[in-house]
Amino acid sequence: MASVKGCNFPDDLYYNVGNNVWVRREADGSVVIGMTAYAAALAGRIVSCTPKKVGRSIELNKSAVTVESGKWVGPVKSPVAGEVVAVNNALASAPATINSDPYGSGWMVRLKPGNWDADSAALVTGTAAASAFEAKMTAEGFAGCQS
Amino acid sequence: MSEMWRVIDTGLRPAAQNIALNRALLEARQAEEIPSTLRFLRFAPSALLGYHQSAEQELNLDYCRAHNIAIQRRITGGGAIYFDETQLGWELYLHKRDVGTADMQAIAKRICHAAATAISALGVDARYRPRNDIEVDGRKISGTGGAFDGDALLYQGTLLIDFDVGKMLRVLRIPAEKSSDKAIASARERVANLKDLLGRRPDLALIRNNLTEAFESEFGVEFHEGDLTLTEHARYRIALAEIDTHDWINLVRRPASDMPVYEAAQKFAGGTLRVSLTYDRLKHRIRQAWFTGDIFVSPRRAIADLEAALRDTSVERLEHNIRTFFAGRQADMLSLTPDDFVAVMQLAVKQPIAASSS
Repeated sequence: MASVKGCNFPDDLYYNVGNNVWVRREADGSVVIGMTAYAAALAGRIVSCTPKKVGRSIELNKSAVTVESGKWVGPVKSPVAGEVVAVNNALASAPATINSDPYGSGWMVRLKPGNWDADSAALVTGTAAASAFEAKMTAEGFAGCQS
Repeated sequence: MSEMWRVIDTGLRPAAQNIALNRALLEARQAEEIPSTLRFLRFAPSALLGYHQSAEQELNLDYCRAHNIAIQRRITGGGAIYFDETQLGWELYLHKRDVGTADMQAIAKRICHAAATAISALGVDARYRPRNDIEVDGRKISGTGGAFDGDALLYQGTLLIDFDVGKMLRVLRIPAEKSSDKAIASARERVANLKDLLGRRPDLALIRNNLTEAFESEFGVEFHEGDLTLTEHARYRIALAEIDTHDWINLVRRPASDMPVYEAAQKFAGGTLRVSLTYDRLKHRIRQAWFTGDIFVSPRRAIADLEAALRDTSVERLEHNIRTFFAGRQADMLSLTPDDFVAVMQLAVKQPIAASSS
């Protein structure tokens, strides 16, 4: 797992660096998406989280989830297009799980992707992702994730 | 030469229009169709929910309906507010490069500091209070919140000019005293009005001017007066069609019974301390606490500051947060101790659910 300024970026995930989100393709072809550790650190403690409902179609780079932290509200933009097939209901009562375990129990929604091959071609993974996030952090003057 | 930003005043409007303009201008800023913008706005009487809040939990709906108070949902975060003609709204639409950081709390703090400077120039001592208030001697005079979309930011605040505290208490589900006289007196210790502080109602043009100059100075820019553009109008019409609907207002629905008001009172050596609090049963968090009682606390603002520090606190962190608050400041409370505040709050949250009221 890559660590950039104290923020973890697991090697097996795909990332949209600009939108600060990750996606993991599962064996059944569905994909799970969530916020990166860096996105969670910028937001601060997340106090509310509302995913789009199961059955809704999400366009590429459009909001799949709305999160709130420190009175800021903003979208989590999906790195792939698809239909919502499941949401992480546990986040309704414990949204700060996104901060504490962004790649595990802080997952947000599961999609049936419309065109994984085309959408994933624009995403980065592994060491390329780590260097892209390092450049983003430098450009944004980010001090680092706190352990 | 300084960068030119735009200042607009969209006047007095119904809540749905004002919030549709929030969406339209944020989208237009994200699309780089407009420059960074300062907008002033006013509201016909409205109860405004934070984006993630439920009307049933936050508002006295019967009162709102009986008194023609519009209910709307903001696109920004934070808590429910009552907004009417006696307040001025101010909003900044910015690009992330304008603020030099992606740290959202740092951005909020910077904007609030500038707004506090503008309010202070009217002749009061306004200061930023974490996390998102501007206060005068412990009393809130401006509440704020934000939204972002990609690289575009919207940060907005209220400014209380000649505010009807009694009406606020009737519109919002606030854990205040049952007696309205006492509740109004308590609320006045927590909320400040420019008219009361200055002894006269300040000129709106002067307030707008001060805020404009403060943001010019903070960001090193100049504002020019402008109007809404055609693309903003087009985006506004689309946004209004979504926002001026029951579906939008009811986007989040949770029963009031999931946010009960708990109360407790306990006699200590330093006096009887009462607390009334709203409790989020889903997240196991104290949403808002309201302390009263025959207690002596100096400075008086310590109580309001403690309440602000305890907003949205988990039960597990309650004791730690109360101790941290008192460890970080001087407060003369005679025989009353931080332990007493911990004890009475723990008593309140231990109430059996069956005994709770909504």
